[in-house]
Amino acid sequence: MAVNAVGIDLGTSNSCVAVARDGKVTVLRNAHGETTTASVVAYGEDGSVLVGNAAKANIIHDPLHTVSSTKRLIGRYFFSAEVGRAQAICSYEITEGPNHDVRLRVRNQEHSLPEVSAMVLAEMKRIAEDQLGEPVTQAVITVPAYFNDNQRQATKDAGTIAGLEALRILNEPTAAALAYGFGRGLEQTVAVYDLGGGTFDISVLRIGKDIFEVLSTCGDTFLGGDDFDDRIIDLLADEFVEQEGINLRTDPFALQKLKTEAERAKMSLSEDEETRVYIRDIVTGTDGEPRSIDRMLTRSDLSSLIMDLIMRTLKVCDEALQQADMTVRNLDGVILVGGPTRLPVVRQAVKDYFQQEPQADVDPDEVVAMGAAIHAAALTDSTQDSILLDITPHDLRIGVAGGLADVVIERNTPLPIEQTRSFTTFKDFQESVRIRVYQGEEVRGEDNEMLGEFEFSGFEKEKRGEVSIAVTFEINADGIVNVTAADSKSGQRASTRITFSSGLSDSELDNIVQQDPTARVRADAEPPPPGVASALPDPTDDLAGPAESPTGPAESSTGPVADNELELGPRVSQNSEEDLFASDLSDFGSGDDDLSLMGDDELLSLVVNDDLGSGDDNCETRILEEEAQPTHVQGLDAAAGDPSGGEDSTKTRSDSSEIPVDDLFDTPDQQLTVGDEDGSDEPLTE
Amino acid sequence: MSSQLPIEIKALARIIGELDYYQLLHLERDATANQVREAFYEGSRAFHPDANRQLDPETLADCNAVSKRMTEGYCVLRNPRKRRAYDVKLAEEGGVRLQLAEAKAAERSGDNDERRAKTPQGRQFQDKAADALRQSDWATARNHLQMALTFEPKNAFIKEQLAEIAEKIEAEWKAAR
Repeated sequence: MAVNAVGIDLGTSNSCVAVARDGKVTVLRNAHGETTTASVVAYGEDGSVLVGNAAKANIIHDPLHTVSSTKRLIGRYFFSAEVGRAQAICSYEITEGPNHDVRLRVRNQEHSLPEVSAMVLAEMKRIAEDQLGEPVTQAVITVPAYFNDNQRQATKDAGTIAGLEALRILNEPTAAALAYGFGRGLEQTVAVYDLGGGTFDISVLRIGKDIFEVLSTCGDTFLGGDDFDDRIIDLLADEFVEQEGINLRTDPFALQKLKTEAERAKMSLSEDEETRVYIRDIVTGTDGEPRSIDRMLTRSDLSSLIMDLIMRTLKVCDEALQQADMTVRNLDGVILVGGPTRLPVVRQAVKDYFQQEPQADVDPDEVVAMGAAIHAAALTDSTQDSILLDITPHDLRIGVAGGLADVVIERNTPLPIEQTRSFTTFKDFQESVRIRVYQGEEVRGEDNEMLGEFEFSGFEKEKRGEVSIAVTFEINADGIVNVTAADSKSGQRASTRITFSSGLSDSELDNIVQQDPTARVRADAEPPPPGVASALPDPTDDLAGPAESPTGPAESSTGPVADNELELGPRVSQNSEEDLFASDLSDFGSGDDDLSLMGDDELLSLVVNDDLGSGDDNCETRILEEEAQPTHVQGLDAAAGDPSGGEDSTKTRSDSSEIPVDDLFDTPDQQLTVGDEDGSDEPLTE
Repeated sequence: MSSQLPIEIKALARIIGELDYYQLLHLERDATANQVREAFYEGSRAFHPDANRQLDPETLADCNAVSKRMTEGYCVLRNPRKRRAYDVKLAEEGGVRLQLAEAKAAERSGDNDERRAKTPQGRQFQDKAADALRQSDWATARNHLQMALTFEPKNAFIKEQLAEIAEKIEAEWKAAR
């Protein structure tokens, strides 16, 4: 069976696409003959969009309308610290979306992050289609292992917008290991040190003939080659202030020139001992005379600039080895992934740390896409029977009394997995409980990533502690989280597939898919239309390779589209789970304020009751969507401040509309008895 | 064990609530850590959802249920302290499952356990020794414990264990004579 499922490494700086067929893996080249394509999107004045290396070349001329390194922002909440940091260094405008998500404002239009990434994915899809001569509709897309569920979901949405079904969201280091072990019949334990443009991951894996087992993975989603560039930029900008009294950081054009030169200098130090940093006429002084930057930068300059960042990666390595219960001596190999690992200072530090020479026969820029392609083939081709045993990179937690979050599935647990914990009510005659699901390693709920929440009611009102609600958490082989609550007495159930997260509701996503913003992408080999000709450099100036796409311009463009085409109407509520999450989550992050929405000061809590009888074992495995939906919808409506809203009335509904909805969260002075492993919830039952 | 028939998958899914992890993974109670892993791999080849994509949704759901339980069993049995807690639970007929959060707590309570090695290397040798002890392989256990002791010179428990093993070896030696 000819299979056109490709593997795409959607990188912070560069992306790469590969295909595995007939036991061979091929990296597909773009129209310029390059294996990697810059993950940069330039928005033209006429509404057209340019993606790739030509867009990257455009940054210098038009930093305000050229968007790069957006992977750092995808799937994040606007109020997260990471977004704040990005705001400080990005020349494009970052604004808050309707769901506390991040939007980019370019040319008076808001772009969600999945839309921007979709532009890059669409370009990769087109490269693959040009090379294969056939349509491509399925892909395995890689993400940093340390991405949380929200970031993964947003990446999946980006695929949907680009017309690609994401067969799987695969972790980058895992993909690298798949490529490394592919067809070699190895039995090894390896570490994958993956330092990308914006993220760092370390994974420890056991590679077998037909089984790839991930033992642990740890990382930092805001540490990468971009930070190295920033250090060089800081050095140059600080020196410039000292020498000339001019702050280059406030001038987007000068800042962009600095960025480009810093990146170039860094890369050339992979080859050379020293490099000349020269930016002619970077800015005009107060006297009207142009000023330039001209200095030498040596390898040792660079290493002293970034050594602390490298040490930070090694600390994460410690953690990963510890989680895998290993030491460096247990490792048969170390695989380096990501452009920044080409830097001698990084290689040396890694070699010293792992006490061995890293594998040389792996191309750090292509290995991830190759692994993704191998996995895409494994998931679509029935003749392939290698199995990937992946893990969950973060703790999965449930919100409990006192604003805390209790671990239900620990990070680095293999998948698929299902865990059930039993909870009880905190107050007499408690009507409902709210179940909040978090991902992260923090004890306090709000310090973690919120994946979603739902309200569970309809159980019989009892004295506190007498209700037993079994909450089942499932993470399937796809890494997708499902949560089900069940009351064994009444048989009442509610479930949710945790999918709000990308910042786009389902209806919004549908809208975007219909409008197909990626249709506006011009092939980067195509000459720009007259409107942007002045702003865009001729790609052939900067890039080697054929100036024209082999398929010709006619096929690759649908021409400019009016500016307002992307304007999204007000979000139409369709009572979908995601929508309701969205409306609910719009109050998330405002501290305890969200409690007031409940219209009730009777704060209640869940209490862990761990003595699950073995008889409960099977009752949670099946999710009864049909039954759960009404309860679920009702719960969320109520949570959104509209206790009588929602049309899916059930008998449990009428019940709970009489009595205000209770909340799971506790007042601070109430003591929590969660996680008593002797199963005692005694203090609370009295 | 690979390529299960749907009927077998369904049958296993039906009785899964009664099987303990050893039964589910076809393991002896004294299985070593390596044997636990191999059994989990074998189970995954047969029941991992990715290996069974061709099945109808209902059978695939059963398959998934089996796979999830096998993962849980692997998580418990591969970790010596979680495994100990599970063995106790089985002996007390407290059910065939040990929720991972409970297992974690059992493991954590061991953190204050003076007997447990503190360094990763020490722990590794201690775990290997535990495997050997389970198989009554005293000589191997002694070697591993001696290695563990080089990393954990102050660990009194390891010293005690070594003394016990020395007695056992001597007893066997005498018996052999």
